[in-house]
Amino acid sequence: MTALVQVQDLRKSYDGHLVFQSVCFELHVGQHLALLGPSGCGKSTLLRLVAGLDMPTEGQLWLDGRLVSERNRVLVSPHERKLAMVFQDLALWPTLNALDNVLLGMARVPLDKCGRRAQALEAPRICKIDALARRKSAALSLGQQQRVALARALTVRPRLLLLDEPFSSLDLPLKQELIAELSDLAAKLSITLLLVTHDPAEAKALCSHALVLEDGRICENGPWTELMGSPASKTLRAFART
Amino acid sequence: MISCAAFEQPGRWRMVGIALAFLVALAPALALLTMMEASALAATATFSSAFVGSLARSMRVACAVVGVSVVVGLPTGVFASVYAFPLRRLLLALLALPLLVPSFISAIGLSMLRRAFDLSADSLLSGFAGTVLTFALFGTPLVMFITLASARSISRSQMDAARLAGGERHLFHRIVWEVFPASALTGVLAGVLTLSDPGPGQILGYSGVASEILVSLAAQYDFAAAARQCVSLAGVVLVIGLPVALLLAPRLASGLLARDTTFAPLARGRAVAGLGPVLFTALLVLTVALPLAGFLQPLFRSFPADRAMREVGRTLGNTFSYAAGASALATMLGVGLAVCAGRSVRLRIISLVGLLLVFALPPALGALGLIQLAGASSAQLDPVLRGPFTVSLALALRFFPVAAVFAMRRLGSTSPSWAAAAVHGVSLTAFGRKVLVPWLASAALPAALLIALLATADVSSVLLLHPPGKGSLPLAIFTVMANAPEALVGALCLAYVGGAALLLGLGWLATISFSRQS
Repeated sequence: MTALVQVQDLRKSYDGHLVFQSVCFELHVGQHLALLGPSGCGKSTLLRLVAGLDMPTEGQLWLDGRLVSERNRVLVSPHERKLAMVFQDLALWPTLNALDNVLLGMARVPLDKCGRRAQALEAPRICKIDALARRKSAALSLGQQQRVALARALTVRPRLLLLDEPFSSLDLPLKQELIAELSDLAAKLSITLLLVTHDPAEAKALCSHALVLEDGRICENGPWTELMGSPASKTLRAFART
Repeated sequence: MISCAAFEQPGRWRMVGIALAFLVALAPALALLTMMEASALAATATFSSAFVGSLARSMRVACAVVGVSVVVGLPTGVFASVYAFPLRRLLLALLALPLLVPSFISAIGLSMLRRAFDLSADSLLSGFAGTVLTFALFGTPLVMFITLASARSISRSQMDAARLAGGERHLFHRIVWEVFPASALTGVLAGVLTLSDPGPGQILGYSGVASEILVSLAAQYDFAAAARQCVSLAGVVLVIGLPVALLLAPRLASGLLARDTTFAPLARGRAVAGLGPVLFTALLVLTVALPLAGFLQPLFRSFPADRAMREVGRTLGNTFSYAAGASALATMLGVGLAVCAGRSVRLRIISLVGLLLVFALPPALGALGLIQLAGASSAQLDPVLRGPFTVSLALALRFFPVAAVFAMRRLGSTSPSWAAAAVHGVSLTAFGRKVLVPWLASAALPAALLIALLATADVSSVLLLHPPGKGSLPLAIFTVMANAPEALVGALCLAYVGGAALLLGLGWLATISFSRQS
């Protein structure tokens, strides 16, 4: 299998405060990996480093065989990494309608206005929000907003989709429904997923592999079946008990 | 015992309080309107061609100021809100200086600079272009700071999403479009404010409608004509200002409420580290250094320090007492209004519409109203209507919107601790004394300082209302500028700008110390 993401000896600190260190892992094409860990362990920071929104203090990051970030440098800008991201707070623009929010994500897509619009209409259809295209995002329910954010990410047809706790504010039925839909979509569109969450149940439903960050290091990493056989981290031990 | 829950609950007292605050603020203007004879009121529709011409000139200047302020202030404000660059905080603090200095002082600087370089009367530093430039020195930082504040309310993840979608250029465009309505409306507000400001036009040879009012009263002693012209100007201001206020108020009202936003950290980069200081230094040269160079150049020939110090000493007490009185009164009225509006979005919008309009009204309107009231009142009211207090009162009624906005912002960010206090039976007075007053004090103090600076910079109200021999420093500069030696005028202007810069510096240091502590 080809490694789409390679993380080598990554370390991140802010103002001398260490977030994590010695982080190494690979994410292969089509793989769905969950980044687990307690709050404040650096999961979202790691995701931002992969996206190129932040730079590592030490280490290297490779995307599709290309060095994209190294010590204190972002070598490839976020918008040139062919990835998309769904943010925890969804990051929708409340003044724009759903379709314009989706179109906003397509700034780098090399299409003319009509082509862009046609492509932009496709993702909302897949995400079942095409009827809401003209509604202001602030007027949508949380579940609908979630779908708009997902549509915005999918419309650029990314190879890698980064998900930063996208289901944390949803109720259980809606969460389960969206996870099932996202799982189907990712399989259908051959998208590689990197999901950040602190909920192992959510991670297990969507991802085949998991990586647990605890105390500033990778505690364990591997397929779910292996990890749950003999959990080494506090996070998975607690999950196994439930 | 009244529970502290009353403070958060809706009630009729809120609307009554708001209405009362505006009634107090507009009382002089209403007095002017009601006491004007019906025939005089009717005559507001008919004007001399000189007045109509001056109104047209003022409108041209206002439109140009809106254009320049938005074109320069919007992109620079967005740039400052997104990127970190060396000396950013210092440069931004210095760019606030033109907001605290009377526009006529900048006009004097440009006028002196024109004479020093022996430029013709139709040069960029005089006439229409010079007047627009002078007002733009105020309008541009105003738009820039409002843009900066609006753009800072965009969350980190929204910025990241735009960055992921199309890089820095896309992010910049997105933010420009997002904040454009607030910036453009602020630009219009700056334009409306120029209509009531007589200084720059009068000094640079492009007199507008505000000068016409001053001439009617101070030179021709025709109160009726001045009142008529002032009411007409207020009508024009209301016609332009009302839609602006209606559009701007909802945005301001939601912006003043606390929000759960993770502020985006300022982005760093080699290009912006170089571009930022160059861009903002250029802006600083244009808005601050250019007028300053005007005052400084006659001082190289002679520096009448003694005379300037005497003049400053003569007027400093009055300047201070007017400013202190205005800031105390305005802060009380503003905080009172904010408490009445509370957290209700509807009441905040109503209040903000009124506050924007009060702020945009010509200052001469209130001053003439107070003169009218003084004329019709008994001698017992002289301390209130004919003394130094009258000046402070007029200035307070003009600038109380500043205190109200500060207090609304602070109230919007209070935690729901009142609910816990209400459950535990804490009385309104105890809650107010222990929680609310200390919480509001941290907003009231900077508001009071800002109002004091703005009140010091106001000339129109002081000119019309000051008791004989009790002028302020800006008024002294305004009255001597045509006849006194250039060096004395330059020295007085320098003293004023130096004082404002000193206060600004103290405020800046206090902000840095506060942000380090927090």
